[in-house]
Amino acid sequence: MQNTRRNLLKFIGGAAAGAVFTPVPWRLITDTALWSENWPGIPRPLRGEVTARYTNCSLCPAGCAVRARCVGGQPVSLAGVAGHPLSRGGLCAFGVAGHHLPYHPARLTQGRVEAAAGALSKAVANCNVEGSRKQLAANLDASKAALMAACNPGESVAVLDLRPGRTASWTYRRAMGAVHNGLYLTAGGPFSGAAANPLAEKARKSWLAGESACPTEAQALAQQRGTDAFVCEPTRGSDRHHDGVSSGPGGVASGGVAVDLTKPRTVLSLGAPVLDGWGTPGNVLAARANFRLIQAEALESRTASLADLWLRIRPGSGSTLALGLAALLDAHIAQAVTVADAAAATGLTEQQIKDLAAELTSHGPALVLPGYDCPEAWALNQLTGAWGETVVARQEAPVPEHWKNCAPVTDLAAVPDGAIRTLIIDESAPGDYVPWNAIRRKLVADNPVVITFGWTPDGYGRHSLFVLPTAVYPETLEDIPAAIDSPAAVFRMAVPLVAAPPGVVNPADFVARAVGIDASNALRERADAIRKAGHGVLFSSADGTSRPAAQVPPDDFWKALLEGACWMDTEGRRSAPPAIDMTGPEARPSEDARLPLVAVLAETALATVPPSPLMTKLHQESNLRLGRSRAALHPETARSCGSAEGGRAVLETSLGRCEILVVVDSSVPPGVVQVAAAPEAIDICGAFARCRVAFL
Amino acid sequence: MISEKKPGKISRYGMSVDIDKCTGCGACMIACAVENNVPPAQEGATDLTGLTWMRVFKVDNGQEYPAKQSVYFPMMCQHCGLETPCYLVCPQQAVDVDPATGIVGQIPGRCLGCRYCMAACPYHARYFNWWDPKWPAGMEKTLNPNVAPRMRGVVEKCNFCHGRWHAAVQRAAEAGLKEIQPGDYVPACVEACPAGAIQFGDLNDPSSAPSKAAKDPQSFRLLVKLGTEPKVYYHSRREWARRIGDPSQAPDGKETSHG
Amino acid sequence: MNFSGKVPILLGVLASLCAGWIGFPRVIYKSRPQPVEFSHPIHARKAGMLCVDCHAPREDGTYAGVPPLSQCAGCHTANLGPTAAEKNFIAEYVKTRREPQWAVYARQPESVWFSHTSHIRIAKLPCERCHGDQASSDQPRPYQEDRISGYSRDIWGYKGANHSRRVGASKDEFMVVPGMKMDDCIDCHRQEGLEHSCLDCHK
Repeated sequence: MQNTRRNLLKFIGGAAAGAVFTPVPWRLITDTALWSENWPGIPRPLRGEVTARYTNCSLCPAGCAVRARCVGGQPVSLAGVAGHPLSRGGLCAFGVAGHHLPYHPARLTQGRVEAAAGALSKAVANCNVEGSRKQLAANLDASKAALMAACNPGESVAVLDLRPGRTASWTYRRAMGAVHNGLYLTAGGPFSGAAANPLAEKARKSWLAGESACPTEAQALAQQRGTDAFVCEPTRGSDRHHDGVSSGPGGVASGGVAVDLTKPRTVLSLGAPVLDGWGTPGNVLAARANFRLIQAEALESRTASLADLWLRIRPGSGSTLALGLAALLDAHIAQAVTVADAAAATGLTEQQIKDLAAELTSHGPALVLPGYDCPEAWALNQLTGAWGETVVARQEAPVPEHWKNCAPVTDLAAVPDGAIRTLIIDESAPGDYVPWNAIRRKLVADNPVVITFGWTPDGYGRHSLFVLPTAVYPETLEDIPAAIDSPAAVFRMAVPLVAAPPGVVNPADFVARAVGIDASNALRERADAIRKAGHGVLFSSADGTSRPAAQVPPDDFWKALLEGACWMDTEGRRSAPPAIDMTGPEARPSEDARLPLVAVLAETALATVPPSPLMTKLHQESNLRLGRSRAALHPETARSCGSAEGGRAVLETSLGRCEILVVVDSSVPPGVVQVAAAPEAIDICGAFARCRVAFL
Repeated sequence: MISEKKPGKISRYGMSVDIDKCTGCGACMIACAVENNVPPAQEGATDLTGLTWMRVFKVDNGQEYPAKQSVYFPMMCQHCGLETPCYLVCPQQAVDVDPATGIVGQIPGRCLGCRYCMAACPYHARYFNWWDPKWPAGMEKTLNPNVAPRMRGVVEKCNFCHGRWHAAVQRAAEAGLKEIQPGDYVPACVEACPAGAIQFGDLNDPSSAPSKAAKDPQSFRLLVKLGTEPKVYYHSRREWARRIGDPSQAPDGKETSHG
Repeated sequence: MNFSGKVPILLGVLASLCAGWIGFPRVIYKSRPQPVEFSHPIHARKAGMLCVDCHAPREDGTYAGVPPLSQCAGCHTANLGPTAAEKNFIAEYVKTRREPQWAVYARQPESVWFSHTSHIRIAKLPCERCHGDQASSDQPRPYQEDRISGYSRDIWGYKGANHSRRVGASKDEFMVVPGMKMDDCIDCHRQEGLEHSCLDCHK
């Protein structure tokens, strides 16, 4: 055989033909197919034993019971606990994906020190966590003397608790009580510090002046009070301590008011999002069939579209509507406010308002739920006669006696302006966001120190000198205060399902240690006090059983709480709460020709807390909800501003401006801007703000 | 190729959705994404390019206030029982109709991404992976091992959480049973709904909620006249809402948003 | 016919056949040993253990698979025998509490769902049917990994040419263990009349 090219080609041809009869080509085809499926970045889900662990969700005061499906100890999905007496197996969209939060891209893992622009000019931008801890220690030194010395005479150190009612709240009160100029503050929601409504002022004068249908206790209380805002200031050591009702839609900073949804036949909601992020979702939906729901609201919210009757009122007129209804029920208020006033403000007819009043008083017990902008409307329940039945006083779960010697609860609005030198904001547990200007004015003008504890830097971290990272659900061990629709006192904890990263701090412990109090075992002490009180039942999610607390040994009681069990006080402790003043500040948008539109906040549930990244399903990959930094406009309004769908625009109010993305939605009334309630939006909008939208 | 011997018990799994109860909270959408390892949206994804196996729409009756009424409408793969359009058009036989359960399954390993099935589906219930899925760092620990992740370039859709059906089969097998316990197999959206608006069960079992819904005169299905025999029954007391199922009769409503 | 003209062709065919049947299998697989020289016979015969003592189905029907270190450490806190393999194991893994990175022969792609319980409890197949007679293998087979696809050559480790081959009509006449491919599973399913839907085996 010669070495010719022809022979070579024959060899190759033969080899090719022979290759077909070998496994080589067939094997290479299948292997390449398999190789192509090993795409880069393919995640391998964890393998391991599948177990169930129980906890309670701490993303909102509902505190729904959660069953976590864990693979090798890592939670991979969350679901409600069917048959739970409080949450009835319900879990909202945020709770279902709560186990993603530890991995949120916006998570703060290092202390970030940020010199807030404007008033706080001291630049300490290069400090790390250690630096900020030292600075904090310098301000709040372990010795109280040093602590007090950091403030000038007359200035205070304050803790602003955005979710009052927790055991941590008691720790703050004890800490602030241990220093002579310490203040423990709560705030009444997004509209603290709003300007007073002249109509409400008139009504208040009239109510105070004359005999009213309210119990005399209310009268006395109203006369004691010198300010417009809600203040609950029990004297130090008294047993009329603050019940710590969480502020939330309809949550009131004063006196533990709770709602019993099994009682009313009619519910009038003045803008409270009853069916969308209010109370305990499972409980509300279970009770829904028992009452007729009337929603008085400017926009077609979920609750408005699902209510039995939707009364479309003008933005900001909820409080005047409440006063108009009160005028029909109380002669003295009627001297100051008339139904005609209410009709003019709301846009309803007088007959509609009269029918509403009639329905509230003659169709069985009624419940009036105020919205964000009119918390004083709780008092309407006093006039309908349902006070003590649909709205009840709720005691807090028992507390160790020695804790009660502590600072009283002070409402932020009651603090004189410029009085606070050092402010600590606990933003670690999601709560209502208070507009920054309402807080800023209480701080001293020159170089106040603001320290925020949070798990993302996007809330008050934008305005703080120091931001210290905390753990986030489900890494935390903390108790959840009772929800607004829980008439009985409850105690339940969110328990750690995953380990928190190193470097996070526990805010309450941090503050307590700074003043020399050891509060590291506070939750155990609280649980022991509850067990010792001997009443109530313990419901265990793991096996669905309920036992009287008195029959559970103390160690087992604590152990059960660590497995997500819930303690509930038994009936019989219900009573009418102390009467409250009907009149209060109403956030009425003032007229301003330069600002022709009205901004209304929407999507207020968990507005300040970034939810799981999967929430894009709801606002980006579908049109179900309004995403942050987005605002919806009626097509005509959008056109008049020069904006179009998806366009970038600037929302400007008298308090500032922020950038938004415009969404066109014909269900928004003309002249109204529906703004998703993010911190930057609440800062400039408050309840309802006059605004303008300028196309960028 | 498919065995002539029929599977032991023939089920036809279906759903009944009470749209009067649905509050549009979106818990079902999130629970679905958690269960099925659906990634969060990439930057630039919109409602047309996103992955929402379960999607809730808001539909109204076209009137203005005060006559305006709205309803929230959860929408997922209808698991067509007859002449399944996506099954018929797929060039890769990546769609599989399970005779034992009636579930229309999507096999991502076979899919080549031609999207013919997306065009064929009359319910727009199929979604295409325009991007490789990406989870924030650490979040891949929360993936569900019972569901395979997909890569870009393939179509995916609701599969009635058949990973949970597998788990139910295993539990039954461990107890020595060949059939699963009814009630042991519950898809994620059904479990998550706080209002209990979605019910799931075997349409061949007369005592299940979907079977009863099928016979209820206030129930309706979508696009029945196409003959696809969808297995999802919707229910409403309101007549205008029942007409959503037939566009030729539907009120002149537009899809409103941001409720 | 000019035979000499066909010689190059025949040589080509021969070369190709040799390369394909003998050379290729050696090249395509990359062999690596298991991290620990575990001996099944010692545990099965000498220690009298059964398969299910370490590889057990759990209550919910999922399968424990390769046992975690805690299972081994339950007995092997100290040397139980004279072998160097055990000494190494205790020093490197038990004392340091490091999980051995076992190469799992039967690892399938993520899209595959295999239910051990269905095959054990319902089909009543013995472990050896798929995994071979582990009790007789002195040490774990070398793990032969396909260089391109990354999967193992066989379910239990390659030994000679014993691939899946059906040699008779009834299911007892499978002489050797099945391989890793889908067809290998389908063979038996088809025979049992259990081939209905992709969903039976895929997630």
